[in-house]
Amino acid sequence: MVKIRTLTLGAAVTGLSLAGFVYSQQQGAEDGPQIPVSESQCSFFGPNHDKFVQAGFMAKGLSSGQASPRALMTAQVASALPPVPGDSRTAADQQVSSTNTIDRYIFQGLQAAGMQPAPPTNDFEFLRRVTLDLTGKIPTADQVVSFTNDSSPDKRTKLVESLLGSPAWLDKWTMFFGDLYQNNSQNTQITRFPQTVTAFNSYVRNSLSSGKPYDQMARELISDQGDNSYQQGELSFIVGGVVGGGPVQDVWDQQTANIATTFLGLANLNCLLCHNGRGHLDSINLWASGVTRNQAWGMSSFLSHTYTSLTRIDSTVRNSPYYWGTSDDTRYKTDYALNTTTGNRPPRQPIGTQKTYPPVYLLSGAKAQPGQNYRQALAQDVTSDFQFARATVNYVWEYFFGIGIVSPSDTFDMARLDPDNPPPSPWTLQPSNPRLLNALAQDFINSKYDLKSLMREIVNSKTYQLSSRYSGTWNPNSANLFGRKLVRRLWSEELHDAVAQSSNILPTYNLMTAYGITTNWAMQLPQPLGTPDGNNGAVNNFLNAFLRGNRDDQPRRQDGSISQALDLMNDNFIMSRVKSTGPASSLLVKNLNLPNDQLVNNLFLAVLSRYPTPAEMTAAVSNLADGNRNQEAENLLWSLYNKVDFVFNY
Amino acid sequence: MSERDKYERFVKNHPHHHYTFFNRPHFTRRRFFEIVGSGVVGSYLVGNAKAAQITTQSQQTKNTAKNCIFILLTGAISHTDSFDVKMVNGTTPSNFNPATVNGISWPTGLFPKMAQQLPNMTIVRSMQAHALVHTLAQAWSQIGRNPAAALGDIAPNIGSVVAIEKASERQPGQVFPTFLALNSPSGVGQGYFPATYAPFRLNQPTSAALSGVPNTTNPLGQPRLNTLLTRLHQIDDPLRVNSPYSTDMQDYDEFYSAAKNLTYNPVVSQAFSFNTADSMRYGSTSFGNSCLVAKQVLASNQGTRFIQISFGSWDMHIDIYGQQNPKGNNMYTMGTPLDNGVGALLADLQSSGLLNDTLVVMVGEFGRTVGGVTAAGGRDHWLQQSAVFAGGGVQGGVTHGATDPTGAMTTDFGWSRGRVVYPEDIEATIYSAMGIDWTTIRYDDPFGRGFEYVPFSEQDLYGPVNELWGS
Repeated sequence: MVKIRTLTLGAAVTGLSLAGFVYSQQQGAEDGPQIPVSESQCSFFGPNHDKFVQAGFMAKGLSSGQASPRALMTAQVASALPPVPGDSRTAADQQVSSTNTIDRYIFQGLQAAGMQPAPPTNDFEFLRRVTLDLTGKIPTADQVVSFTNDSSPDKRTKLVESLLGSPAWLDKWTMFFGDLYQNNSQNTQITRFPQTVTAFNSYVRNSLSSGKPYDQMARELISDQGDNSYQQGELSFIVGGVVGGGPVQDVWDQQTANIATTFLGLANLNCLLCHNGRGHLDSINLWASGVTRNQAWGMSSFLSHTYTSLTRIDSTVRNSPYYWGTSDDTRYKTDYALNTTTGNRPPRQPIGTQKTYPPVYLLSGAKAQPGQNYRQALAQDVTSDFQFARATVNYVWEYFFGIGIVSPSDTFDMARLDPDNPPPSPWTLQPSNPRLLNALAQDFINSKYDLKSLMREIVNSKTYQLSSRYSGTWNPNSANLFGRKLVRRLWSEELHDAVAQSSNILPTYNLMTAYGITTNWAMQLPQPLGTPDGNNGAVNNFLNAFLRGNRDDQPRRQDGSISQALDLMNDNFIMSRVKSTGPASSLLVKNLNLPNDQLVNNLFLAVLSRYPTPAEMTAAVSNLADGNRNQEAENLLWSLYNKVDFVFNY
Repeated sequence: MSERDKYERFVKNHPHHHYTFFNRPHFTRRRFFEIVGSGVVGSYLVGNAKAAQITTQSQQTKNTAKNCIFILLTGAISHTDSFDVKMVNGTTPSNFNPATVNGISWPTGLFPKMAQQLPNMTIVRSMQAHALVHTLAQAWSQIGRNPAAALGDIAPNIGSVVAIEKASERQPGQVFPTFLALNSPSGVGQGYFPATYAPFRLNQPTSAALSGVPNTTNPLGQPRLNTLLTRLHQIDDPLRVNSPYSTDMQDYDEFYSAAKNLTYNPVVSQAFSFNTADSMRYGSTSFGNSCLVAKQVLASNQGTRFIQISFGSWDMHIDIYGQQNPKGNNMYTMGTPLDNGVGALLADLQSSGLLNDTLVVMVGEFGRTVGGVTAAGGRDHWLQQSAVFAGGGVQGGVTHGATDPTGAMTTDFGWSRGRVVYPEDIEATIYSAMGIDWTTIRYDDPFGRGFEYVPFSEQDLYGPVNELWGS
């Protein structure tokens, strides 16, 4: 027998856990008769499993001291002290002039942890990074040259303003919120016909375009009524909670769970709608472990007057397309009934003599007023809740930095958020920087829930503008201190559009065939599904290889794969764009007759948004001079599309 | 103390520790390699498993199987309509035709082709899942441990463990990844292991014309592709090898190495392309073609040792016998493709001699309710289930364990541990069959706590079902 070495890392690692037995609700072998109710699909461990793997490293209790009150106290004390002699380059020194909220908290945290931040980005890195992050596009060669030659001190903030005002910003963030709201034509439960998907997409786009305050958008998505999702895109959000195979309470529960996840970051409510937190979530979520199923019903009850309708375009045709609608106080006028024995979730039975459950907002105890529309009441409760702002800024932060301040971003633990009231041991505060999270949320509220204002605050921060290169010893435990920008592989659509744009050979895809509306950009597709080229699906396969997800059980992912490498090496989408013969306007043909060094420069600028390094220039020029020049030019362009600094945002 | 008492006492004495989700260790393997400061090396051609400190209890393994085909019936197949068939009068369709074949009760009407393979098959009917949540239990089946427990979310797929263990057995010139995942787009990956041991995922088309691995040739030809790759490395190695930006970029280079080995390689088309006649024998379905490709890949002897095939959905809460909607997902529309694919696979493996050293394992993530169907005409989730084995040295034509007349609970455990068989035991069985010591603990995990191939092996909580070998 060999003794297992037992290590103690933080307080965390020593436990042998057999949590499986927590989940064994129906015992087959020993116990008596079964209850014929199926376990619901538990989305917490469902498609999110991979997300937890992906995001796991960030959230661990292994690091960082950052979250403990003591560390924060240390930070406050330390920042008041003069620099230690000889230590001439502390984080605080470097960033002392910053007034940005983000930088104040992040650099305090870095200093408290004794961690040196990465150096600032250079202009090339910043331009490419922020253009990709805000608009999903890479900058053009002209933009690279003019931005890096611009000597005005405020050029970065000016750039940010122009990106926030660009049409591509709408494309990118329509895709982002389409992912968040799971706008798709098919999930495991329902079908949305293309007109519904398009209408939902247009609703998001128009809302972003008009600068609609985000709280208003949330209220509309939660509470708008109407009978036709072809015309009223926002109805689709509530429709997304429709589930079959059970009573209407199952539908209300799922709709409620979707609202809680999307707008409050509380995916655990879905668990609580089947069972109490106690005995299920004790190891996962301190707050949720104390919430009962009854209390969760209080949330669902806000949906209990809602009827989700399905109307066929031609009621005489069996398989006619249909649209969806939602209406209140039409078919359902009584509160959430405790009267189910079958379906997707365990039975709902009267509590003593109580046969229905009234609407009570879980986080405040607020009740709907007599005569008030329940969903409007819920929309009001949600959007006036500080947690709404906190969850929203955290989703956006997670996108820009790769790690949420609370991570994974839909697993908020309400009992572990307040830095002035930390949870009892062995729990720790959940956010890696709770004061920053609260400050960002407050700034968001102060801006009247202006998404652009939030993004402006983020990308103008010195924190966001740190390099992803790190020269010292990198301690990955401390990634959630944000002392270095983490790289991300480009989204599928970003990669597609970057190849199309830089090669100047644009594909054309039908958006709405009937109206002759087309697009050149994958980022303008209403959903990451389907076959944009409408012919053989080749581009569809290319886009899928980069894991754009399906807005249902497959989330967007950042992993690499052999298939991605094969596609970048050999797929026609790339190969057709690296030819030295082709349209005169294409990148390669247009530059082919320039002197070698100019050719090399222009290809680098267009594809990688930077000039070549001296070594790269030497290698490229000597290949062009020594070999078949046209072929070597093609080889060079192909190499640029296969370079890791093309495939990643760094 | 009996094995069963021992198991239950252990579980009682080791309740799930109340570490918060975020206080439990979480890491991606990338962060791990950043910690140890080691660039991930090479492709699977040259890259042996990084030397890890390893301990074992030196268990004697069976070591009778060279390969494993792991078929995961996602959505959870109804065990009492399939591998533990029970005739429920008035419920079970008569054309399932349950009969006793060579002493094994079998739905000969539903699965006629597999019925012919019963002499090769071993059925464990005393199996139970731990959980009734689809995705959780599916992950559980693939990693042989609780996905929600410590190390659960960085745990590699069983296939990745096989890949890292068998890396040293790869021969020069073998170009296929050790771990192949067919029709498993959302299956568990390599966990904290390097990208080298990740599953190579490929979905199979229904049509032979579309078969093969896409983009394994370049429109400009092979010599030119070599030039292209040379040029790429010339200017990109400073960023993709020991990248100053991120180990993510280094990982990406590993995928390129593996991808290059698949290009212009005749064995790729031989193994991954198929013709219509063969496809028809396997049922002309995506699942059938996965079985066909699995057979061809193993026959090619190109280094693939573990093949996962996922097939679903068996989640038949409604209308399980297709009485309302004959074309919906029901035992017929799913059962026939399963029978065609697995029946042909076992027949072909046997005729080619591959069955002797290829272990085929078939499980769902749990079972389904028994007796009469629900009001919706379906069957809901249930812990009791069955597992099917064939080939790889296990004794065919027998069953182990038995359930009560309804199929609801185990009445005969049928193996030495005197308790139900869990996914962890299936995992240990696969490792033992392949000559991998299931008590191995690797100390290269991100936490240094030791990654046990099968959890709690020090306590001998789980172990192989040795009875499959007739001992």
